[in-house]
Parts: sequence; C-alpha cells; structure tokens
Amino acid sequence: MSAPSSPAAHLAKTALSLLGVLLVWWGVSALGVVNPELFPSPYAVLVAGAELYQEGLLYSDLKVSLGRAAVGFAIGASLGVVTGLLTSRTRVFNWALNPLLTLLRPIPAIALVPVAIVWFGIGEGSKYFVISYTVFLAVWLNTHHGMEHVPQTYTRASRSLGATRLREFVEVVIPASAPHIVAGLRIGAALAFLSLVAAELTGAAAGIGYRLQEARQFIRTDRMFVGLVQLGVLGALLDYFFVVVSRKLIHWEQA
Amino acid sequence: MTPAASSGSVAVRGLTVEFPAAKKGRVTALAPIDVALEQGSFTAIVGPSGCGKTTLLNVVGGFVSPTTGTVLLDGQPIVGPTPEVGIVFQQYALFPWFSAMGNVEFALKRFGLPREERRREAFAFLDEVGLAGRGESFPHQLSGGMKQRVALARTFAGKPRVLLMDEPFGALDAQTRLAMHELLLRVWEHRRTTVLFITHDVDEALILADRVHVMSSAPGRIIDTIQVDRARPRSVDKLDEQFLRARARIIGLLRKQETEEPPSAPASTPGRRFDDVQ
Repeated sequence: MSAPSSPAAHLAKTALSLLGVLLVWWGVSALGVVNPELFPSPYAVLVAGAELYQEGLLYSDLKVSLGRAAVGFAIGASLGVVTGLLTSRTRVFNWALNPLLTLLRPIPAIALVPVAIVWFGIGEGSKYFVISYTVFLAVWLNTHHGMEHVPQTYTRASRSLGATRLREFVEVVIPASAPHIVAGLRIGAALAFLSLVAAELTGAAAGIGYRLQEARQFIRTDRMFVGLVQLGVLGALLDYFFVVVSRKLIHWEQA
Repeated sequence: MTPAASSGSVAVRGLTVEFPAAKKGRVTALAPIDVALEQGSFTAIVGPSGCGKTTLLNVVGGFVSPTTGTVLLDGQPIVGPTPEVGIVFQQYALFPWFSAMGNVEFALKRFGLPREERRREAFAFLDEVGLAGRGESFPHQLSGGMKQRVALARTFAGKPRVLLMDEPFGALDAQTRLAMHELLLRVWEHRRTTVLFITHDVDEALILADRVHVMSSAPGRIIDTIQVDRARPRSVDKLDEQFLRARARIIGLLRKQETEEPPSAPASTPGRRFDDVQ
C-alpha cells in the first residue's frame, strides 16, 4: 500500500512473510505437541484441498459463495449509495432515516440469520438478504458522511464559477466524496464475506460456509482449514483489488 | 472581447452583518460599512485579524446575506453567488480531481463553448499566467505559487465583472509573493476587472491598490481611506516619501486597534471566528 518500496520488493517481502508463517505452522505440527486431529499440518490441509478439488467441491463451493457475495454486494452497495445520497442531500430523508441508521448499526449480521430464514426460507433469498443488508449499512454510512462533508470552499468555488446545481453535484460533490464512497465499498466488500459465512453456516446446501459446517460434523479440521484459507485468500485479494482500483479512481488522494 | 470591461462597479451601503452567537444572542461582525468600488479600480482592505474583512468579502461574494444595508453590483442587488463576482481564495480551492486545464475549463463551461474551443481558451488562460506547459498537471503536483496561478487563471476565465481576493498570497513565501504581485498586476492591467483585495499586509496593499481602506477591529468599520497615486509598477525597494507616510499611518492605526480593544471584549475571539470560518 505504501509507495516507497517497489512492487517486486513488496511481493518478495509478502512471500517471505507467508513462508515464515507456513514454516512455524509446520514446525508446531511436526513437534507432535498438538493433536493433529485438532490442528492439522500444512501438508494435511493441502491433501484435503486436493481431495475437495477432485470431488469438484472446491470449485463449486467457491462459485456458489462468490455468486452470493457478488449479488448481495451489488444490491447492498447500490441501495447504500442511493440512500446515502438522499440522506446527505435532502433534509427530509436525513431527518427521517438517520435515527434508524443509529439503531441498525449495532445489530450484527449473524443476528439477522434467523429472521432472514423465516422471511426468505433457506434458499438464496435469505443469503442475499443478510449480505446485502450488511453491505448496505456500511455503504450508506460512508456515502452519507462523504457527501455531507464536502469542503465548503469547493462548493463556494463551484457556485461562484457559475456551475449549475446539477453540474456542481456531478463535478464537485461526487468526486469530493468519492474517497469516502470507495472506502465504504471496500468495507462493504469485506463485510459481504463475513456475513456470507454467517448466512451459510445455517441452512445452506453448498458454499464455503456450508462446507465448514459439514466438516465440523465429521470433525475434519483439515477440511475446515481449507475453507479458512480460502476465505483468507479471497478477502485479501478483494482488498488488494480495491487498493488498485482506488489508486486509479481517486488518484489525487494518494499524494 | 470582454463586455464586462464596461461594468463592474460595486456599491456597499449601510452594510451590517450579525451572526447568532452561542452566549450573547447575536454578534455584530460588521458595523455599518459604506464602500464604493469604481469599475476597473483596485481596492485593498487592511484590518486587524478578526475585524470582519472576510465577512465583507463573503457578502459581496453572495455567501452571506446582509443583516441591514445593500450591496449592489452595477445597480443590481447581489442575492447569491454569481459568476459575475469571481473569487480567489487563500487556500486556492482548486478541485484536486481536475488537472490545471480541467480547473480552468470548469470556469469556461458556463459559456457553453464547443469542447475544442473551450480547451483552446483554457490553454490561453493558463499561458497568460505562465503555466502553458503544466495543463495536464494535477494540483497536488504543483507548488503553492503555481496553484495560485491556476486559481487566478480559473477565476479570470469565468470573466467576472468583479474579482474578490481573500489574502490570496498569504500562504506563499516572500519571493513567490512578489512574483505573484507582478503577475496579478499584469493580468489586471490587461483586463481591468474591478478588484477587491483583502490582506493584513500593509506593503502588499500599498503596492497593489489604487485605494486602501483601513478597518477597525470587530465590529468592523472603515476608519481611514488612503488614495495611492503612484504609478505602477511600484516596488518596496524604491520607496518614496508618500509611500512611507501612508505606511506609517496605516500601521499606526492598526496598532491602535489592537491595543484599544473594547472592554466588553471576548470580542477578539468570536471576531477571529468570522475570518476563519465564514
């Protein structure tokens, strides 16, 4: 994320750090002080991963989970941006909706799962609901904050340069709040994965979260670790994607 | 080429501004003020910090409504921000997401020119401030002086009848400031836009302006007006006696303002607020 080191050096450092973690993991399991049934070695996890791959489950779970996260994110993010825009730019919406936001924020996604299942059944609907809801809150909050805090000098400059309200909105308010909106989307994407697993742990027939739950029933910690590694890698890649995109999109913020 | 050249007179009559205050109900930022800006003139206002000079500028800029009195631009009351009144801010207020070119084009868009022509004209304005080669640079890639030159180009591009400048060079180092004075005067002599220039730097006021108003501490009133007849370019290293006399007089007045604070005075604290926030 920081500029000074070259991308190659950064990559090398990351690889080295992960290699270190892997070595320690290996060492701990090789010492035999922990029960391998509870704490599998990296090799056992690799074998379990290969097994899941051969069964075709690795790919299909990934596809199902990513699909749910993507749909939930898309719904939540677009609703969040629109709502944030309304509450920050129109007094009525601000007045009507902001207290609700304060009440909804502390409710964790997992507490919604039972409600979602009653409302939408154990199909895809309940997953979309839980994911999009958490994404929605994060994106709404950040969009609202960003648009509400557009520096006054920008809007004054814009008006004294003869911009219409529409042009001011498109060319000043949106870019000025873009860093906040992108930050909200980034948090929302991370939350999409958190709530995805919460939603899949109960009442699902496929997906990474479901596979974790299934592995628990057979006490297959090696398979659980495959799921955990998958979630970690996916989350990290997603975050990296946001870093790259925001570097392009809001280039002026990097200085 | 500039129809604006034939207009741009501002009349401020009996202007007062009050703000709601936390404790006392209301705070008076401006006592009755009368100022006339003749078209094509260059007027400077100096005053102690917190005297309300920025409030005055904000009223002329249309950002703050008068509590009493009127502000007329060519006979028409100013009711809100208008491109006829251009503003150069101390902190530049360039849009960081637009390039230098994009910032100048922003001002030109109100004329509805075809894109090609708009770009050509934006280039000409950047060229005028000596930044022809930096059109593609973004504000964070430019020095403070360059940013203020882009801001000048952007403001002139909007072809305002009146140009308000709020301590525009206050954040620049001395050397850059001198260069900016020359640049501003060169562009201004070419366009003859009416200028209202706010500063706390007495030398700056005397070097740039035809007329210098001195304001009292808050609530601000105009307590003295000095006519500067010296031909431009003026410079501080060729001081004449008139300059020195005017300078001594203004500095004396300002010093008196700062020591003679009214006894009811937490006034300096809310007064400062008007300059900083409003």
